[in-house]
Formats: sequence, C-alpha cells, structure tokens
Amino acid sequence: MLEQIKQWIEHRRGGKIGSHDPGNLPNPKTPGEQLLTDCRLIVLDLETTGLNPSKDEVIAIGAVAIRGGIIHLGDQFDLILRRPELDIRETVLIHGIGPEALTQGHEIEDALLYLLEWMNGDPILAYHSAFDQKFLEKTLKAQLGYTQPHTWMDVADLMPAFFPNTKTGGKGLDNWADYFGLEVSERHHAASDALATAELTLVALNKARSEGVKTLKGLYDKLHYHRRLQNMHRF
Amino acid sequence: MASAHQENDRPQNIRAIMTFLREHAPFSSMDDSHLAHFAENASIQFYADGDIVLSPDQDVVKRFYVVKQGRIRGERHNDKEDRTETTFEISQGECFPLAAMIGERPTRTLHRADGDTFCLSIGQTAFVTLFAESEPFRDFCLRGVSSLLDQVNRRIQSSAMASIGSSTSLDTPLERYALRNPIVCSPDLPVRKAVARMHENNVGSIIVTDENRIPTGIFTLRDLRTMIAEGTGPLDTPIQQVMTKNPCCLPSHADAFEAAMLMAEHHFAHLCVIDDDRKLIGVVSERDLFSLQRVDLVNLARTIGTATHLRTLVSLRTDVSRLVDAMLAHGADSGQVVKIITTLNDVTVRRVLELNIKKNDPGIPFTWLTFGSEGRQEQTLLTDQDNGILFQTPEGMTAEQVREKLLPFARKVNDELAECGFTLCKGNIMASNPKLCLSDKEWDDWFIRFIDASTPQNLVYSSIFLDMRAIYGPTEPLNDLLDKILTRIRKNALFQKMLAGNAFQRKPPLTMFRNFRYISEGNKHSLDLKRQGLAPFVEAVRVFALANGVETANTLERMDELAKKGVFDPKDANAWKEGYSLIQAIRMRAHQEMLAKGEELTNYIDPDDLNPLDRRILRESFRQAQRLQQKLEVTYQL
Repeated sequence: MLEQIKQWIEHRRGGKIGSHDPGNLPNPKTPGEQLLTDCRLIVLDLETTGLNPSKDEVIAIGAVAIRGGIIHLGDQFDLILRRPELDIRETVLIHGIGPEALTQGHEIEDALLYLLEWMNGDPILAYHSAFDQKFLEKTLKAQLGYTQPHTWMDVADLMPAFFPNTKTGGKGLDNWADYFGLEVSERHHAASDALATAELTLVALNKARSEGVKTLKGLYDKLHYHRRLQNMHRF
Repeated sequence: MASAHQENDRPQNIRAIMTFLREHAPFSSMDDSHLAHFAENASIQFYADGDIVLSPDQDVVKRFYVVKQGRIRGERHNDKEDRTETTFEISQGECFPLAAMIGERPTRTLHRADGDTFCLSIGQTAFVTLFAESEPFRDFCLRGVSSLLDQVNRRIQSSAMASIGSSTSLDTPLERYALRNPIVCSPDLPVRKAVARMHENNVGSIIVTDENRIPTGIFTLRDLRTMIAEGTGPLDTPIQQVMTKNPCCLPSHADAFEAAMLMAEHHFAHLCVIDDDRKLIGVVSERDLFSLQRVDLVNLARTIGTATHLRTLVSLRTDVSRLVDAMLAHGADSGQVVKIITTLNDVTVRRVLELNIKKNDPGIPFTWLTFGSEGRQEQTLLTDQDNGILFQTPEGMTAEQVREKLLPFARKVNDELAECGFTLCKGNIMASNPKLCLSDKEWDDWFIRFIDASTPQNLVYSSIFLDMRAIYGPTEPLNDLLDKILTRIRKNALFQKMLAGNAFQRKPPLTMFRNFRYISEGNKHSLDLKRQGLAPFVEAVRVFALANGVETANTLERMDELAKKGVFDPKDANAWKEGYSLIQAIRMRAHQEMLAKGEELTNYIDPDDLNPLDRRILRESFRQAQRLQQKLEVTYQL
C-alpha cells in the first residue's frame, strides 16, 4: 500500500521523491533569442495567508507550462504546502484551504525544491507578478537559502501591451477572463487561476505572432516598452 | 484510500477538464478513468478569429480536438460558383476531425476558427488508448455524427418505454385513464328506463348515485341477465332494489394495479372512481385496464372506424396518445409517427362525417378538405381544425343553395370534431365558414385571386391553403383543382418570389453567434418548436415544391421529390430531412411529457431544460434550416 502511494506521488510529480540535489538546481534562463514557438514558459499563481509579503506566507502553488504556444496539461504543478502552524483564519474563505489541508500538505522544503526543478529555470509569468515574485523569492530564501533571480513577466502588462484599446472594465484577471469569455473553474484556486492566466497568455502569444514578435527577447522588450509608456503617462 | 485519491487528489485543472467533458457526448457516457486519461494527456490551444486549425494542405491528422470555447467552421470551395461555403460548424463540446483521424489521412475540409476559440486536443497515442479501452468513445468515433440521430431516438424510446412498460401500465394513476363520463341514474328509476339509457349510450353498466352524486350502487348487463333468468321482479322495479349496493370505489390517485387487484378479488368488471368527497368522477372497466397493454394500430383504426357513438370516438382519442407512446418506444421515427397520428385523425374525421350523414344527410355529395399540417400529414397530438368543403353544384341549384344545406351540417361536424380534441380553428378556417364551403368553380376563382393578388394576408394563408388534401368524398374534383393551381404557380414567377420572400421571413431561432434566439414576448427562455423550428423548413420546401410541380403536400416527401428532380442536392436533402425530423422528434417527446404531467400541450420548450446533446442537435437542426433558407435566398435572389 505504502509503495503504491509512493509510486503515485512520484508519478504525479514526474520526479523521484527526496532525490533533489539542492546544489545542482537548473539555472534561470534570461530572455534571449529563443523562439516563442519553441520555448517553455511557466505560468504560476500562489495562494497566501494574506497580502503582506513581510508577514504573510505561501500556502499553495499552482502552475502550468506553455510549450510552443500550447498548454500541456500533463506538465503542471498543483500543491498545497504543509504549514499547520499558519494562521489562515482571515483568508480561508478566499482560497478555501482549511487547517486540515495544511496539515496534510506537502513538506515545504521538498515542494520548493521540486518546483525549482520542474520550472527548469524557464521564465515565469503571473498575473500581477510582483506579488507572486515577492512571496516566492521570500519563501525560497527563507526555506532553502535560494536567491537566484528568475525572469518574471506580468500578464497584467502583457494583455494591455497587445490589446491596447480594449475596454475590459478593469485591470484584474477577472476582467480579462470575462472579456475573452474564459471560464475559470474555481477562482482563487492556485492551479485554476494559473490556467486562466495561461489561457490569456495564449491569446497574447497569438497576437504577438501576428505582430511579428518572434523571440522571448522580443516579448520581453515589448512588455518593458509598454511599462515605460505607462509610467510616462503617469507623470 | 485509492478511491479518495481518485476523486480529490486529481489536480484541480484535470478535474475541471473532466467536468467540462462530462457535459458533452460521447464523454458523458465514458468512465471517469478514461476522462482522466483524456484530460491528463490534453493540450489547450488558442486560435484567433480566422486562424486555420486544420487544412487539407497539412499532413496526416495527428490530433483529436474538442472545442473548449468558441467555434470552428468547416470550409469547402464551391468550384462551380467560385465561392467559399461553410459546410459545418463545430461548437463547444464537439469533436473533430473524426473521419480523418480514424482514416489516418489529412482532413478534406479546411477547419477555421470562427471567433476566438480554445481547443482541447489529444495526440494519437492517447486517442488510440481511449479508442481501444472505451466503448462509448469507440462507438462515437466510428459512427460519427449519424449516431446523434440514434442517440436521440434511443432516448425518446427509453422515456416512452417508461410510460408504457409492463410496470407502468399498472402504476398509472386511475385519473390518467379514459374515464368515460359515467352513465348515472337516481335510485328510484325503473329498471326498464335505466336499461334504455344504457342502450342509448352503448355501455354495459350504470351507476346509481344519490343527490350528492355519491355512488350507492351499480347495475350491469350481467345483473339484468340474472334478473330476467331468475324472474326476481318486473322491469318496472326501482333500480335500487336490484342493483349491487355499495359498489367498489377507488380514489382517482389510486393506481391501476390496485384497481386490477380489487376487480380480481371481487370478480367485478367495473369500478367507480371517486374524488376526495366521495363524489363520482368516472368508471373504469376491466377492459380499460387491460386494453392499455395492447394498443395496436389496426385494431384502433378499426374501432374508431366502426364506432357508433361520438362518445366512443372521444374516448378512443386517449388510445391514440397511448399508441404514440408505444410507437415511439418501439423505435418508430417521428416521420412515421406523425403519419400514423394523421391516419388515425383521418379515420376519426371520416367517422364523425359518416355518423352525421347517417343522422342528417345533407343530400349533396361533397369532398371534405383538410389544410395545413393535416394536409401535409404532419399532425401531432396538438392539433387544430383546418378544413373546408369542395362541392359540385348539382343542376338546377345555385352554389348559394348548396351552401345553405351544407353549412349547418359542417357546423355540427366542426363541433363534434372539437369534442374529439381537434380544437376549433381560431382563424375560422373551417368548413362551416361560408367562405370555405365552395363549389369547384368558386375554389378555382378563389385561388386565381389568391395567386394573382398576392397580398400579404394571402401569403400568410399560403401555409394553410397550399398544403391541401381530400380526406372524405370523391378525390377527382380536388385533383383537377390542384392541377390548375400548380400550373398557375409555375407560370407566375412573381408569386413564387413573394412566396419565397415570405418563407425567408421566418428565421430559425439562432443569433448571429449561433446561440438560441428566444421569442421576445412572455416566457423569456422559450423557443416555439413549431413556428421557429419546423416552419422555416416547411415554408421553404413548399416554395420549391410548388415551383417545381411537386404534388404531394408532405414536407419529407416533398424533399424526396425535389431531390429526385435534381432541385436539391441529395446530400443536402438528407441533412434537411434529418434536421426537420429531429426537431419534430424533440417536439413530440415534449408533448408526451406534457401529457404525462397532465399539462396543456404547447409547442414551447426551454432549451435549458434539454440535455446538452439535444441542445446541440437542436442547434445543428436550426443551422440546417438556415442553409435551406440560403438556398432560397440564392434561387430567388432575395
């Protein structure tokens, strides 16, 4: 029985449990001339105990991978972390992860190592990525002492960058999801939000291709150009 | 543990995909483990409006797709007219390409995204695994779209089975039986008079009730036999002295099984059905209970055709409804069933006419005409009267004088047909209307005006008067008339065009985005299957039929004839026949369900009440109607 469970966990993670090599983790990639039609992108969403990175904690990680402009559901990440010590009273209603789930979650260190291996150093996209980036970096540093900088891109910028005059009625994930008629199976579930974000990314990548943006660097530059434009307008 | 892991420990996104798949055929009948296999091996791709998804120029098809959101359209180039035609549309939950995937070849149709579209897809390996392991999936792939029709028919069968199956016939509450309006008398009535009343009404029993209509006794023919054979009293004896006191009574909500048991126990052939105040509602006989299990068409038609009383005809109408249940259960298609309903309706109409002629012969030969759906032999259980009379004026009489004799007769027939359940026509399209009881000459003039004047009002009537059939009396006068009408219409291009324009007005209930367009007034989410669903087919087909000299009035037969004459492409004709039949099937099933619930029959349905498969079928059928209308548009340059 135990053997079966172990096998199943291995199967789900696509890697061997407890065999991480903390000293030999994949290196983060920088946006270069990789073709968008080839490269792998990570689309990630975290559920946390609150909004303040200095005092709140990560409790669930959901992520899907886009390869060559396609989401492959066999290549995804969906874990609740084992953090029975956390106070989740304030947010339990949002993410629906109760104390019991946190007790039965995955060993945090193990889960984070697995995440780093699974991400394979590929660029990370998230909706309002600054939030996820702060939380993930803080957690990686606290738990593993890991400080390598990854490439992050914000889908909240990506969408208006490619669909500049779109009336979505707001800047949130829900606004864009509604605009493109996406059905989010379970809002505020990390994996489900990650999938919705990834679907929006597919829409943006399709537009990128039709606008002649071919490489990861091209995408990254477009994003930064949009950012600068936004900042200029602000003054 | 194992099962817990299967349910809850599947990643959220996999569970979500499985939930989505379960809403659609064939996934709705597949095992969870197979759905999980699909989801775990699936990819999600996005196509912007106009993007090519599959093309004949590409290699052998290697992936099997399901539309997650949006729509795909199939495009074929029509070389003759040098334009691109949409051959099919694939919407949410539907799969493609089936034939190319199974045949391991490139697709023959260009698949293009119609609006922003997300597709789920699996590769060949996962496809082969599912194909090998899941029977519903294999069946679906092998039979492709044609299995949709089978599935609908199977579903109609199973629900109809449920209402006639061996268990149900005896589960049926007594109130659902043909409760004959019971023949009753007061306790002091002499036996002689009671028997006369039974004879008049052609029944075998009479219920004796007190002043509150509470049954106190029953008197049957068997009691009469005993009374005479044993000489218990003269025929002037008050009935209360010879009746069987305290007859067996059951409340109307008791079921047939209880009634059968009670009869078997007491050897009674009749039971009183009473309401909560013990007042008499009706009588159920042994024959009623057991005839329920063997309704057969020939027998029913013969019974109707030889009925001697209007009362019998009225009660036989319930048998017609039961027969429809039985036919649907035995897999008859909607086309057959509507024809049978029409046949039985014809027999009823004929019998009503015969009984009236026997009682009160107007003395002038006439042809009884039916129009509209009955004329097309497309009646369902919900039907109203559309009829008229065609006569040849005898020498020495004027048409006006003939009418004077025929109209009162027609009035009586119309009323009696109403009693049989053929609702009186609100528009007064009935034989008792002097404008529709005409001589051959008058009808001819009438049609000349109808065709030449082509007023909007006339066009509204085209769906009634241009679908015409004789169901009683000599048929030659009608055939002569029809010949003239058809010739006139074939020569009159303007009338054809106006007819086409009128048919084109009746748009199938789909929005630009292929969602259902609901009727605006009243019920927010309802579709009128007759006016919005069937009418576009019927009207468009009529235009082509009349313009091409097709004589039959039946829509399916008209389509066959038009395909034979090369007016319709045989493939198109089949698709249209199928679309039409499917809407009809869904409508008839809705009628049977309303009948079972004791609701008034309507043609309205809420598509939200349908299962996803039926919704999809309905949408596809409406789309076929749109294609037929496009042909009308092109042919008549509307």
